[in-house]
Amino acid sequence: MGKRRAPSKSSSRRERPVKSKPDIFNQEGITYIDYKDYNMLRRFISDRGKIRARRVTGLTPQHQREVAVAVKRAREMALLPYVAGK
Amino acid sequence: MLIAIPELDEEQVESTLARFRTVVQRTGGEAGEWNIWGRRKLAYEIDNRTDGFYAVMEFTAGERTLNELKRMLRVSDDVLRHMVVKLPPDYAQSGQRSAEMAETAEVPE
Repeated sequence: MGKRRAPSKSSSRRERPVKSKPDIFNQEGITYIDYKDYNMLRRFISDRGKIRARRVTGLTPQHQREVAVAVKRAREMALLPYVAGK
Repeated sequence: MLIAIPELDEEQVESTLARFRTVVQRTGGEAGEWNIWGRRKLAYEIDNRTDGFYAVMEFTAGERTLNELKRMLRVSDDVLRHMVVKLPPDYAQSGQRSAEMAETAEVPE
């Protein structure tokens, strides 16, 4: 068990098993993704300050968009960095 | 939400915030209380400043209020940055979170 291998030997790259993560906003019943809640938004940015991709966050398209808008608002108000230097 | 410059003392902040609140009321809007987050570190420098004084207020506004308020915010030297956001109609239910956030806002970094 464990690793799923591609049926044909040639295309092992494409067939990564897709595990669907539960959408946390549906789980916690959050209806409005607030730009002021910057600690919650931290979960959706990388340590360089970039917005995490949908395939990483596992959000629904709608929530992913709302998170993106919220992060951008939070950046404008200096709650989150545009670039986190290191 | 607005960020006031950190150089102001408490009294000056109060009067600045009160001024914007009266602008809303005078032009026919309904202003809630200021939710004061206090001084916090900015995520990046703005005008060579590393921290700012954050405050959030909810209000209702027509076009007249909005235009006047935005103009005042832009012109005021005490305001480092501001943002007016339209809230969704069901915001009231999820609104209790902002009170919790205000308490954690002053954690120094």
